[in-house]
Amino acid sequence: MKTVNNDRGVLMFAHNNTEIDYFRLAVVNALLVQANMGIKNITVVTDPHSLAQGEKTLGKRLIKKAINNIVVIEKDKQFKRQNLRLYKDTSHTTKTLPFYNANRCDAYDISPYEETIIIDVDYLILSDTLNHCWGHNNEFMMNWKYQDIMYERKDPTLARLNDMGITMYWATVVYFRKTPYAESFFNCVKHVRNNPQFYKDLYKWQGTLYRNDYSFSIAAHMMSGFVDKELPQLPTTLYKSFDTDDIHSAVDKNTVILYLEKPRSPGDFILTKWSNVDLHIMNKWAINRISEEMLDYVTKTTTATKTRKRKTKKATSTR
Amino acid sequence: MSTKLTKALEFANYRVTLNNQRSALLAKVDSLLSYSINGGSFTIDLHLITFCKQLIDEGMKETVMLDIYKNPIKIDLESFYEEIRSRYFEVTNEYYVEYEKLRKARKTHKILDLNENGE
Repeated sequence: MKTVNNDRGVLMFAHNNTEIDYFRLAVVNALLVQANMGIKNITVVTDPHSLAQGEKTLGKRLIKKAINNIVVIEKDKQFKRQNLRLYKDTSHTTKTLPFYNANRCDAYDISPYEETIIIDVDYLILSDTLNHCWGHNNEFMMNWKYQDIMYERKDPTLARLNDMGITMYWATVVYFRKTPYAESFFNCVKHVRNNPQFYKDLYKWQGTLYRNDYSFSIAAHMMSGFVDKELPQLPTTLYKSFDTDDIHSAVDKNTVILYLEKPRSPGDFILTKWSNVDLHIMNKWAINRISEEMLDYVTKTTTATKTRKRKTKKATSTR
Repeated sequence: MSTKLTKALEFANYRVTLNNQRSALLAKVDSLLSYSINGGSFTIDLHLITFCKQLIDEGMKETVMLDIYKNPIKIDLESFYEEIRSRYFEVTNEYYVEYEKLRKARKTHKILDLNENGE
């Protein structure tokens, strides 16, 4: 019999803005984590407003079914006002909206698990690949290498913090174990978050937006003895679609069909079917549009699994 | 636009979709051919399978192998070999089936298992 390990869990951060329902995405993804990874320990860090919106639109029952630990924090209002990001719903629609990502550096203190995988709410778990991380020799892992699922598309600006700068690590998926090294790593990330101007001057990242990718990359550089690419990567490849892409439909709990924007013809798309591999979908509106479909698939799966388990239990007890 | 040109552009679109879909399929294969054990991660390939078989044939029960991070990992050869071998065949057989399906698809919607209306 498989034993449940309460020392391992998944952590997500979900703070809505005026347009994007991050909490809804977290619920969908939590159910995907349960269905595809078999992990029940899921913590979501949110704020009172996002939680209230989630309870209104999804209902407390579904939220409870998806997430077994909700941590509610108050947002830093000044940070929220200042950190504005350009969001795209394909090349046709762009909007500047607040992007609240100030508390990911607190993940070490927030996580109740001995081993944690932090994932973005828009990193859809379509497989069990991340289970390879549990019990790993490396106590901290994240990816610098990524693969755009529109294979022809190349964007060299995403490789480094600036043209001559350090390698950019993606904080989209982070695995860590509670060790002194991981604690120091997160302290370093906190220091970057608290002193963004200093680190921006030092590492010369572009734009005014604070991104966790930057602070985690800087911490990775510092905590590796100022050696580039020294922090080990996850044993999985980070696949990404961008905010210029869209989702056609969700086929089942492991498969989505996407519209991918052609590199030399903006606003023009090809279709691709993406199956059984986790995927970072940066167009948040697109995920929200298929969230109903996805919820249908994952709630059916969990109900079917429960019924099967109940039947098996009954069958074995009457033997 | 002439009919010939429209057809040519349609075919170009089909080729781009097909190539991308092949890469997507390969991504799935790569992901499934990754195997983690005893705190290390390995990529299952012919080299690893053959090497394990060679060691078993030499009568070895346990060995230390370098994983993808170049970390030394202690391995129980019999169970490790069984696991990677069965995974390899499972994944490559599935790959073969899906690849053949893709190879025979002559229309964009067929590549994606959609009907002509894109549904």
